Amino acid sequence: MTHTLHRRGSRESLSGDYTLMMLQAVGINDKDSTPKIQEYLRIVLRHNARNIGSVDMGGMLDKTEEVIANASKIGHAVFDNQADLTAALKEIKEADLGISVIASGIYENVDECLEKVGLKHHTGNFSLGIWGKTEKLPGDDILEVTTMCGHALIAPNLVKAMVKEIKAGTRTPEAAAKVLMPQCACGVFNPVRAGKLLAAMAAK
Amino acid sequence: MKIIADECIACEACVPYCPVGALTMKDDVAVIDQDECVDCGVCLKSGSCPVDCIVFEPAPWPRSLRDTFSNPRTVHKATGIAGRGTEEMKTNDVTGRFQRGWVGLGCEFGRPGIGTRFRDVDKVAQVLAKHGVAFEPKNPVTVLMEDVKTGKIREDVLNEKVLSAIIECLFPIEKFQEIITALKEVAREVDTVFSVEVINRADPDGSYPLRKLLNETGIPHYINGKQCVGLGRPLADV
Repeated sequence: MTHTLHRRGSRESLSGDYTLMMLQAVGINDKDSTPKIQEYLRIVLRHNARNIGSVDMGGMLDKTEEVIANASKIGHAVFDNQADLTAALKEIKEADLGISVIASGIYENVDECLEKVGLKHHTGNFSLGIWGKTEKLPGDDILEVTTMCGHALIAPNLVKAMVKEIKAGTRTPEAAAKVLMPQCACGVFNPVRAGKLLAAMAAK
Repeated sequence: MKIIADECIACEACVPYCPVGALTMKDDVAVIDQDECVDCGVCLKSGSCPVDCIVFEPAPWPRSLRDTFSNPRTVHKATGIAGRGTEEMKTNDVTGRFQRGWVGLGCEFGRPGIGTRFRDVDKVAQVLAKHGVAFEPKNPVTVLMEDVKTGKIREDVLNEKVLSAIIECLFPIEKFQEIITALKEVAREVDTVFSVEVINRADPDGSYPLRKLLNETGIPHYINGKQCVGLGRPLADV
């Protein structure tokens, strides 16, 4: 379950990409965790989360109440700036829900947010990149979009199809990002960043 | 995944949704390459088919592994967790799974978007076992091992293809370079890609000994990653 770890991109692009997750620990604090995770999802929505989800439902920002009602063991959220991430962390800390919270993004940027609200990192997860037969991979521009779904459910061919439609003028980058977003089961796909990446690919 | 050929209207809407490119058009009908299909369910879940002719029928063992490893909504019976791995470091503030002085290693085969046969997972697992790693007992790949001391994965599953499968293991930080060197060597022998991750508990001053080691040894790592922020309760003594 390393689904928010290996997101690829430039420092500039990743500066607009932060994910936050709340996960129960099986056998330790999983009893009665569902309302806490639902409360967490309501908090992140108050701070402009760009996407939310659990595992059963993700990428459905137009159905937030349904997503919250279905969430149980895990809650995901995506932010496109440090200020919103910081504000969400502050309220989550104050709510004292007692369930593990995990923040992903550029380490230094995330640490700045943690420091502002009096938190500090406990355990870190570092990506050493992609090994093996890397010649099988699609191009970096495609990977920057597809790795925003850590379960790899967003097909490179679908990204290419969206770029083609943007080039043809039949779909905007924002609308294309919304086609990709629900393919990500967890709701960790960042539609704002995806729209920018798709627009850049279509402009080439 | 299957297409009901008689009902397909050849609109091609489903084709781009397949993460591994197993869906193509042939003689005006959408077809799924059953050997390449990982049963992730994306084509069905996308709702792209206007006549609902994409279906999923649960497969018998060992093909049933494709669904459990590829579809994050499917819960592994052995672990009770949906997805491919475990809680790993996400809940380390309460589980204490990763103690100071230790490194967690994850090798996520097939990711991103290529898929993997278990025979490639097997090759790497056996190499790691030779270097004395402790495989995570709750991980679904570990459950497929004939013997955790050798890392050998059971023969009947080796040809099954899944979207991704993760080896999770643990070793003392002193063995980091030895294990990374061995991993680099065996990486040349696999027919897929795998994403590599390492986990470390922060020291009381907030520094990560492993991060220092990565910088000192020049091992490339991403500028972004994941951190547990210590809000879980009850706190583990790590």
